Amino acid sequence: MRFAVDPWDPDYGSSVGTDPAESEADVRIDVECEPDAWAAITLTEPLAGDVPPVVFIDGVRRIDARTWIQTDGESGSSSSEPGIFASYGAGAVRCEPGRAEIAAVEIGHVVASPARGLGDVVLRAGTWRAVAARDATIESLTYAVHEAMTKAEVRVAEMARRGGDEMIVVDGPLRDRSHVPDAVGLIKTHHVRYLADRAATVVDGLGIGQRTPVFLVVSKWSRYSWYVRLPGLDGGPWSGVVRCEATAELAPEAVVTLAQQVSGLLARFASEPHKEPRAPQNLYPIAGLERALRRRLGDSAVIYRALRSAAAATSSAVRPVSAAP
Amino acid sequence: MRDPTTDVPSAPAVGRVLGTDEATPLDFWVAVAPDQYLQLDDVVVCERAVPGAGTVTVSGVVSRVRARHEGAHFDSDVFLIADGVLPGEVVEAAQVLTTRVEPEIFVPPLPGAPVRRAAAAERDHALYFDGMARRLPIGLGRDGLPLYANLEFLEGTRGAHVNISGISGVATKTTYATFLLYALFNSDALGDEAHNTRALIFNVKGEDLLFLDHDNERLTEVERDKYRRLGLMPGPFKSLGVFAPPRRNDPNAAPDVANRHHDVHAFYWTIAEFCQQELLPFVFADAEDERNQYTMVIHHVARVLTKGQPLPDGQWKIDGELIRTYSQLVQLIEDRVTSDDDVVRREWAGPVTTMGTVNAFIRRLVSSVRALDRLVRADVPLRDTRAIDLEQHQVTVVDLHNLPDRAQRFVVGVTLRRAFDRKEMMGQRTPLWFVVLDELNKYAPREGTSPIKEILLDVAERGRSLGIVLIGAQQTASEVERRVIANSAIRVVGRLDPAEATRPEYGFLPPAHQKRAVIAKPGTMFVTQPEIPVPLVVEFPFPAWATRPDERGAQRNASKPEALAPEDPFDGLP
Repeated sequence: MRFAVDPWDPDYGSSVGTDPAESEADVRIDVECEPDAWAAITLTEPLAGDVPPVVFIDGVRRIDARTWIQTDGESGSSSSEPGIFASYGAGAVRCEPGRAEIAAVEIGHVVASPARGLGDVVLRAGTWRAVAARDATIESLTYAVHEAMTKAEVRVAEMARRGGDEMIVVDGPLRDRSHVPDAVGLIKTHHVRYLADRAATVVDGLGIGQRTPVFLVVSKWSRYSWYVRLPGLDGGPWSGVVRCEATAELAPEAVVTLAQQVSGLLARFASEPHKEPRAPQNLYPIAGLERALRRRLGDSAVIYRALRSAAAATSSAVRPVSAAP
Repeated sequence: MRDPTTDVPSAPAVGRVLGTDEATPLDFWVAVAPDQYLQLDDVVVCERAVPGAGTVTVSGVVSRVRARHEGAHFDSDVFLIADGVLPGEVVEAAQVLTTRVEPEIFVPPLPGAPVRRAAAAERDHALYFDGMARRLPIGLGRDGLPLYANLEFLEGTRGAHVNISGISGVATKTTYATFLLYALFNSDALGDEAHNTRALIFNVKGEDLLFLDHDNERLTEVERDKYRRLGLMPGPFKSLGVFAPPRRNDPNAAPDVANRHHDVHAFYWTIAEFCQQELLPFVFADAEDERNQYTMVIHHVARVLTKGQPLPDGQWKIDGELIRTYSQLVQLIEDRVTSDDDVVRREWAGPVTTMGTVNAFIRRLVSSVRALDRLVRADVPLRDTRAIDLEQHQVTVVDLHNLPDRAQRFVVGVTLRRAFDRKEMMGQRTPLWFVVLDELNKYAPREGTSPIKEILLDVAERGRSLGIVLIGAQQTASEVERRVIANSAIRVVGRLDPAEATRPEYGFLPPAHQKRAVIAKPGTMFVTQPEIPVPLVVEFPFPAWATRPDERGAQRNASKPEALAPEDPFDGLP
């Protein structure tokens, strides 16, 4: 018997689902080459001095407190709706040879709830901006926060752009961020199988420093995509594999050039297992950015205390009932 | 420009009090702003508002500085950060030891408070210079500006004495002592009193101190400028008297020096002086043990010796014998105390003395002949210049370096005793006499007692009121009598041995300064004075006077011992 250990810290699960679902989207694999010619493409890593500027974009969010929002109705009756206080941060790291700096950061605080008459909550620690949620489920509440964070990510991406020649890499799927032109999304975990048959075996057989040809995923939001294998220990199939995305608005030739350039750069930023629980897929600049953003969100205990005393001050208007886990 | 967070007038801030380390009224950390720097010994000031009391100003001195990568978790992250892969910021912080809190409300400075460099009046305030009526320049700070000591703690008003510790060779203890003397004589700290003030220096190493009145040829313009910044004119000492022991076996008793040929006098004591002034106990200057009976014999013999008659050239006639040399004297004493005639023996050695005790005395006395025969004599024509006269020159150097250990103790003991008695007779504090003595551990060791130690203790404890100020030095303060050091108001430390630096004798140095003392460069001194709670780190300029024969330049005021140099026309000019 032989076995391999998945390189990710077990607390984070695995980078690949044990039984990934087949994609329901229409996948076209004839973008870069004919389906019969599908094979791994070897990447060239640029020399250290020739590395172009790369901007990494990421966001973090945290639930500060759960709350019940009590608003007075027109007839004098009052109703309570659940909600969350949350903080988010979006940031951009600009990496140039010899210097990686946090080029832009935006920190925001929101209170999300479907309650009508929801208003901003002003504390000494900051203002919790009111955002409406579709309904009272936790998914809708967190989505409202996520949406605010995504908008902030788009803004910091534009702030971090300087010369115009930089690569922009966004942590996670592009989705709403696809209108940052020439941005590449980087997906660490694989819940869906996009490729089948011969194309799928190409992914299994990717060597370090190789990528698959580009394919197009046609769905509600279409995008180009390809897989890259980052350097790391052998940890079973798909270990060290990330999926990249680019907007479908680009011309196929432009996407191929972009894929070749960006994929060749990723190895430089891949993390090592003793420093990063999700190595190598969680890249160093993104891990560093996440740590910096979490620090800038402020101390959660301090914020929780501030929210509680503010709630007490509004008598019964805002009443948190439990802290975030 | 006003700072919005504290609403106080602000010079450009170098940083802010940080909140990740605790701030206390006695020390706090400052995060240094990105485009600023703080170095060790910088003087800084910050303020905070105290309800009902107004603004409290906290001033201090930087004692530690550190820089680190924020965002790095592993040591090897530095490579990622340097390579531009991991975002990380370099942040500098400085620890400040508080020197002064004004008004004295001991509250910590608040995190976030802007910290600025103290300049001009603020610096003087932080270091208490503003309250010093008479201040003595003691060297330059790292900022290139002068640092001062309060003269009142040096000349006896509120304290006296200086103690200097440090390794020989690199600590430059004696050079700093002479620099302090130069500053005393040439700054306006002492005022008119400077002209009457005298200094006595014992030279124990080479002929280093015999050229204090010569220009130093290696003094560069940069170093001259340092003197001017201290308010001093660079130059040699203006009035110097040099005394050296007579050359051994020289019938003319010429001074035993190799490189100085003029204005150096051989010193010795005549047999008559030796007997009249009861100098015999100083021959036995080893650590004295009270249990030893022979010390009784010493004092008895010394008293008997006084009963003689003086003859020309310092000869002494006693018991019918004419004594011209020290060995004759020793022979006489030996004959008498071992006499077969009980009457004679009792008269000299004391009534109830056993032969064993007498023999112990004789053994020690006879062994002193070789060391002392050139210093105690009446075999050469008497000359005026053979007595060490401390009052004729501003600075008197007594050269000991060619003398055996026992003779050194004798000279130091007798000279200090004479000086002390003279000042006691004068009955007033002024004029001040300064005494520079290296190797205190030899003359005032922690263990045991000896006549010299008694005098040094007298000087340390009563010298303050008599106007005798001891500038003592030693390699290791831990080996010197505690009371001598405890009475020194100003303590100075140069380069220290690492093991020595951790001893409690240096408890006045904060831990960071103790570490620095181990690597201190020659010319750097840590000066503690009673008013300032933090030692000042001073750099004193290269000596403007020759400290070695090969540095020797022109001599000032050659062969005119009685005439003090005229006042320097440039004195007091900036």
